Amino acid sequence: MIRKLVQTAMRSTSHEVGFAENGKEGLALIERLRPDVVFTDVAMPEMDGFEMADAIRATPELAHIPIVFMTASVQREQIEECFRHGAAGHLAKPFSMTELRARVAQFSKS
Amino acid sequence: MSTRQASQYDSRRRQERMRKIPRSLRFYVAASTLYAATVFFAVQFIYTIELAQSGIVIARRDSGDILSSIQIVSFIVWLGISLIAAVIMHRLATALAGARTAEATKEQELGSIFGLSAAIAGPHDLEQIGAYFAAAIRGALAPDTTLALIVYDDVLEAFRTIATDGPRAGALREKNYSSIALPSIVRTRVIDHRQPLVLADNAANADAWRRVVQELPAIGTARSFAALPLVSRERLVGALLLVGERADDLVPDKVQVPMIMGQYVAGSIHSALAVKEAEARAEREALVNRIAQRARASLDPEEILRGTVEELAKVLDVSRALVCTGAAEEDLAITYEWEAEGVPKIGLGAKQVPIARLAARLGRTILVTDIRKDSRFSDLRGPEDQVQQDVIAAAATPIRVGGQLAGALSFSQVDRARDWSADDVRLIESVGQELRVAISAAEAFGQQRMAVAELERLNRAKSDFVSIVSHEFRTPLTGIQGFSEMMKSEDLTLDEMREYAGDINKDAHRLNRMITEMLDLDKMESGRMQLHREAVDLNTIVTEAVGHVRPNAPAHPVALNLDPHIGEMTGDRDKLTQVIANLLNNAVKYSPKGGEIVVSTRVEGSAAHLVVRDHGIGIPEEALESIFERYGRVESRATRHIQGTGLGLPIVRQIVHLHGGTVWAESTVGEGSVFHVTLPRGAASRGSVAAAAS
Repeated sequence: MIRKLVQTAMRSTSHEVGFAENGKEGLALIERLRPDVVFTDVAMPEMDGFEMADAIRATPELAHIPIVFMTASVQREQIEECFRHGAAGHLAKPFSMTELRARVAQFSKS
Repeated sequence: MSTRQASQYDSRRRQERMRKIPRSLRFYVAASTLYAATVFFAVQFIYTIELAQSGIVIARRDSGDILSSIQIVSFIVWLGISLIAAVIMHRLATALAGARTAEATKEQELGSIFGLSAAIAGPHDLEQIGAYFAAAIRGALAPDTTLALIVYDDVLEAFRTIATDGPRAGALREKNYSSIALPSIVRTRVIDHRQPLVLADNAANADAWRRVVQELPAIGTARSFAALPLVSRERLVGALLLVGERADDLVPDKVQVPMIMGQYVAGSIHSALAVKEAEARAEREALVNRIAQRARASLDPEEILRGTVEELAKVLDVSRALVCTGAAEEDLAITYEWEAEGVPKIGLGAKQVPIARLAARLGRTILVTDIRKDSRFSDLRGPEDQVQQDVIAAAATPIRVGGQLAGALSFSQVDRARDWSADDVRLIESVGQELRVAISAAEAFGQQRMAVAELERLNRAKSDFVSIVSHEFRTPLTGIQGFSEMMKSEDLTLDEMREYAGDINKDAHRLNRMITEMLDLDKMESGRMQLHREAVDLNTIVTEAVGHVRPNAPAHPVALNLDPHIGEMTGDRDKLTQVIANLLNNAVKYSPKGGEIVVSTRVEGSAAHLVVRDHGIGIPEEALESIFERYGRVESRATRHIQGTGLGLPIVRQIVHLHGGTVWAESTVGEGSVFHVTLPRGAASRGSVAAAAS
């Protein structure tokens, strides 16, 4: 549902969007696409968002890519955990499409 | 014998010697004969000289015979008069001497009495008083009379020998007489009626004598016996026992002085006893105060028990101290135990506490001097009372809080029989009193602590709930918010509009389902959920539920293995469907793609047994129970990505219980889980439903 929402929201922009089912697939996709920014959930099967972020940070050619976590939690500890795993930003569910696009714009410019 | 006594004997012997001399009649006769002869011859001599001087010569030849016969007659008459005078003198002297002796005796007796009263005037301990008394009455008795002063000791609740003297002292010394150990005749007459008992001659009072000897063998071959009560201010403080070696050594007259002295001594003994009692009371109160202070200083029942019971056990010098708690006699179990070194422990929680139980049943303190001879515990030799076999003596008191039994305090002796004193009892009861205050305060505190802990748990559960719910609610909300935002602000085709509206609707349903689940669980947990009972076929419900799940879980093959003999049963169709749906959804959620799920039913006696088996990640053994509790979801790396409110299994359990059934899980981590549900096949009884609902 979230994937469909993001896809729809990004349709009107000039960005190319790739989607993956879980962390493992996400990592492979990132290596292939080398995107400007990565948006990821935390809770995912196979490899969760934190593990994927760690793997990206551990790969020198991918380490510069900013990662934005989308979490349902607004608790400080979990947000802090996101930043400990190298998050460039955090989007709390439910988020508005405007907010999502603004984040994309922010990171693709830099 | 003391020097004081020795000097008394000397003075007595001297007095006796002095008394004997003037009483001799021969002395008086000899003295008057000598006196008569001396006077007669002196008169004759003077008379002859006077006649010669005056020149009168009496013709001897003529009148000599006559004259000499007159002289002889005169001499005899004179001698007779002298002898009469001697007898009179002797009588007078004897009477005088007798009077002097009586006076001296009286003086001596009075002296002894005054001496004794002066000696015991100050504060003295019982032993000192006993020594003074023994020394003082010694003078009034035959030297070989044995005496024993026994005093009623309130602390010991028995007579205690405080002074003995005489040849049989050894047999009477160092002996405590409980009232019943005294000869019955002494008990009745001296102790109960406070009358002196004097058996002057064992031959004359053979019957009474035999009874005394039977119960007091120490007097054995003696000839006379006396027991005199010591009474002060209406209180019997003790008795004086006298044993004479000859008949009539002790006759009522001779025991007068000891009786009088006894009255003086009784007052002193009374005071000494009062002081002793006051000291014992003060000591006891100090201990109880100490215990009470400690109990008030702490709100931890364990600490209170440890401090107080240990201290009391040491003061009482017992082998073991037990605190049992329980609201009923049969519930009493050991919650705290203290043992002296080398004494085996019984074990916390043990219920073999017959003495404490008896105290609880009777509602008063129980004393056991020797359990081996105690008929109340004659049936205590069974193997279930193994732990009690080492106990010889015991004392137990019930602890009641607000009129309700709360427990019992029990002390025991494993090494010896023990006569529990009134003081021991007072101490045990006082501490029991303090403990009940402490225990009730600690209980109240404990309840409050539990209430606070429960509130904290609820608070934590609430914040967990808020966190889980907000997490779970936010995901569908993201869809609702995002799609509605796009419908509002973007140019969309009608088909797109419809599609997004459908997405919004789906998320709204999801939210609604979650809210309903929470409310349902709340209702079931508080017993407000009513089942809509009807005749249902479990196999049909299972087939329908699987039919609903299959399209949503295309990656999970679901196999059915249904027993056609299940037949109809009474139940709530929707709720039973929810049970199967929740179990199936869990099986799908927690299994990898391709993991087969098997649902089977079978008949087991009067129950239908439903089994849902998956090949998922499994559940750790320690969580097999807690997963059925609210928010009891196993949180781990393997499950964090799986959405769920943690309400599915608690709802399953509530519904199954409402139907009078049971539910449990078996699992091997990494291999899969099996959920079992049994439901009664007949019409579910209302009773079991009500019980489950409450």
